[in-house]
Amino acid sequence: MSWRLAALKNGFQDATAYRIEFLFEVLGSAFVPAAIQWVLWYAMFKIGGAHEIAGMNYSDMVQYTLVSLLFTQIRGGDHDFELQEMIRSGQLSNYLLRPVSVIEFVYIRGMAPKLLIAGVCLGLGTTVGLFFGMSPVRLLGAMVMALIGNVLHYQIGAALSTTAFLWEEAYSFLMVKNMLVSLLSGELIPLNLFPKNMQWMWKITPFYLYVFGPTQYALGHWTHTYFLEQLAWSCVWLVAGWAFIKVTWGLGMSRYLSLGG
Amino acid sequence: MKLMQYARIYRIQVKNNWVREAVYRVNFLTAMATDVIWIGVELLLFTVIYANVPVLAGWTKPQVYFFLGIFFSSDALFTTFFQRNFWNFSDLVNKGELDILLTKPVHPLFLALSRWINITAIFNIVLGLGIAIRYAHPAGFSGGWKWLLVGAWLLIGMTTQILLRFAFSIWVFWTERSWAISRLYYQFFQFATKPDTLYPKAIRYLILTALPFAFISSIPARALLHGLKWTEYANVAGVLIAFFILNAILWQTGLKRYQSASS
Amino acid sequence: MIVEVKNVSRSFRSPKKTEGFTGAMKLLFKPEYSTHEAVKNVSFSLEPGSFNGLIGANGAGKTTLLKILSGLIAPTSGEARVLGFDPFQRPVEFRRKIALVMGQKAQLWWDLPAVDAFDLLRAIYEIPMPVYKERLHTLATLLDVTKHLNTQIRRLSLGERMKMELIGALIHWPNVIFLDEPTIGLDILAAHKLREFLKEFNRREKATIILTSHNMEDIEKLCSRVLIMRTGEIIYDGTAHGLTEKGECRLRVRLMQSPTVEELAQLTGVNASAIAVQAPDTGPDEEDKDENDHKPIFFTIKYDDIVAILQKIMTKFTIINMGIEEPSLENVIQRLFQ
Repeated sequence: MSWRLAALKNGFQDATAYRIEFLFEVLGSAFVPAAIQWVLWYAMFKIGGAHEIAGMNYSDMVQYTLVSLLFTQIRGGDHDFELQEMIRSGQLSNYLLRPVSVIEFVYIRGMAPKLLIAGVCLGLGTTVGLFFGMSPVRLLGAMVMALIGNVLHYQIGAALSTTAFLWEEAYSFLMVKNMLVSLLSGELIPLNLFPKNMQWMWKITPFYLYVFGPTQYALGHWTHTYFLEQLAWSCVWLVAGWAFIKVTWGLGMSRYLSLGG
Repeated sequence: MKLMQYARIYRIQVKNNWVREAVYRVNFLTAMATDVIWIGVELLLFTVIYANVPVLAGWTKPQVYFFLGIFFSSDALFTTFFQRNFWNFSDLVNKGELDILLTKPVHPLFLALSRWINITAIFNIVLGLGIAIRYAHPAGFSGGWKWLLVGAWLLIGMTTQILLRFAFSIWVFWTERSWAISRLYYQFFQFATKPDTLYPKAIRYLILTALPFAFISSIPARALLHGLKWTEYANVAGVLIAFFILNAILWQTGLKRYQSASS
Repeated sequence: MIVEVKNVSRSFRSPKKTEGFTGAMKLLFKPEYSTHEAVKNVSFSLEPGSFNGLIGANGAGKTTLLKILSGLIAPTSGEARVLGFDPFQRPVEFRRKIALVMGQKAQLWWDLPAVDAFDLLRAIYEIPMPVYKERLHTLATLLDVTKHLNTQIRRLSLGERMKMELIGALIHWPNVIFLDEPTIGLDILAAHKLREFLKEFNRREKATIILTSHNMEDIEKLCSRVLIMRTGEIIYDGTAHGLTEKGECRLRVRLMQSPTVEELAQLTGVNASAIAVQAPDTGPDEEDKDENDHKPIFFTIKYDDIVAILQKIMTKFTIINMGIEEPSLENVIQRLFQ
């Protein structure tokens, strides 16, 4: 257990060694998706003169944007890229000699700054949320779902990064995953804007559990029972993700070792 | 004479990149797939939005697709010839590899910015143009001789991106870790992915002047579709010249600092 | 003179870093600086075609001096001229005639065969094709890497890679070559090969070479002239042999008797300061008790005088054993640094 704490501390120090950059990073990643969303709503409602789109009016949209910001900050980062870089450069060998799981180690290190941000978001979100009459129970539940989403995001990335065992790099795959996530997680637009015949697109991936799901629940658009149902689904995905990692890393590792690293 | 020498150097850089790219054939395919997905995601976003509204700030769906086509081509031009060189720029300074370039009898920036060519991205130029051509007629682009103008505007788009990226990269001379600034560039770059008339006044003013991301594709697409006012043309020329001068000054002072700080 | 350095100094100002957020803010708005003098008032000149070694500990100012000479940085004061140019102006003509090789910084492309990188250098230096082919052949043969020219750089061993770097640096036949730690990280055999090549190239092409190294063998085997730096100053300037050849050798004798230093000085005519009884590091060990009666005596004298002095000693004392210690360059330098 103690190595996990050490890894957490190390990751935290690493991320905050350059404080100004860290601040930039957090602000930038919060500001840009929000600005883009806002621009779209502005164009649709203010310039375009629409009143209601997919059952949402201008203030609903802005509300969605602001709340989704919290969960965008919690959703998984890019530490799966670290795994593929390790495999590609052969640095993985150094880690294999250590008595800890590489996948877990990289996750915990990368997770450290997210925990801080999640904490701040939770604090900020509850204060602002309570002020606007949002239920703290819903906020907490949404946060749990977002955190599960964070693990899920990493699991998928970790499994995808094993393609580096085969083709020397997995960068492209991870990039593709990130692009799909940016649209299908709901951090750019509320997913119910998708026309009826395209709704399946986001429903077949677990990405909506990262941002869209938590936001909908926090805003009260999802009932408690529906939320619990979705939470159960995210747990199913979690188990599937775990199995996915087991299989892909098992295969990749046997190939890696047989080739002599 | 000088120009001929530079042309010869460039020819060899192209050849060398070709040789290297042939070594990694898988990357060729995956990189291509990545770009297709990226284009797909951007198109999908607007498809979803236009499923809800018929017109967005005066842009019809085919017009936005035409805009995206121009955007992809102009961005792919930059990616092909400059992207990776800028990507490596900070390493060049931090690891001191610039030292070696400074001792060569050609301009160090020429060597630094011509080293990597991403041959795969040429495919994207074609893909972007394909999208632009496909939606040109429904978007109301009159075509004919005006297709020549597309080429010119693509070059302006690329030039803008070079000047902007340079202005963001050059800070590596002053800060050791410049990735935060590079990251900021990519975040601002998001503004280039939507037509400028969508933006609220303040942002729109910003991306037409101090951070001219609108020149990458918004201005070219608008110029091709409807033509611009002469003040807008003058603005494009003025801002680009100002950026060029700014970059030249930054390069000179940055180099001076590099030379006074290195031991 | 191909390289002239007159009273060159170079100092650096670096901001003092302080901890914490206020420290970072202070660094941003009101930094405090500390000055460090890397090169202090250095003067020397080098002859065309000479092979010169620049040695010193880490941080002695070798690389800084090399950077001043190759035009990468300007001296804070003083004047440097290389091939008649002011290096820091870096005129194209100057850049055509010099080469800089840094052992730790590669200029070749990782994913390409060396020959493709050389092709680029050919275009940069505008070398006509027949001349280029001939030079490449010469260099590759001398360095014994002809069969590796078409191998990706990343698949080469460190030694082969360094050889390729050298070919890349020399393909334009520079008049002045700056080598910063060329043998760093190489095994003995590879370093030896590289040295042989440098010697041969210097002999054949009459290029002036300035080499920095930690490796004393590099200096001993190659350099006709040695400059030793310590904390930014040149503390020795002369031939490599000059360091050891000052006649210095240490004659060690152990006598049955225990004469005083004065007695010995009188007998042999050697200055008393050049005679020492027992090396300072031999401790009074239990087992040495017996030997302590016959402490070794060291005479720092010239080679030619050995026989005469021994004869003089033997007229009065009995010699139990004796030996001659030759100070290696490494010892000499160690003593210089102390």
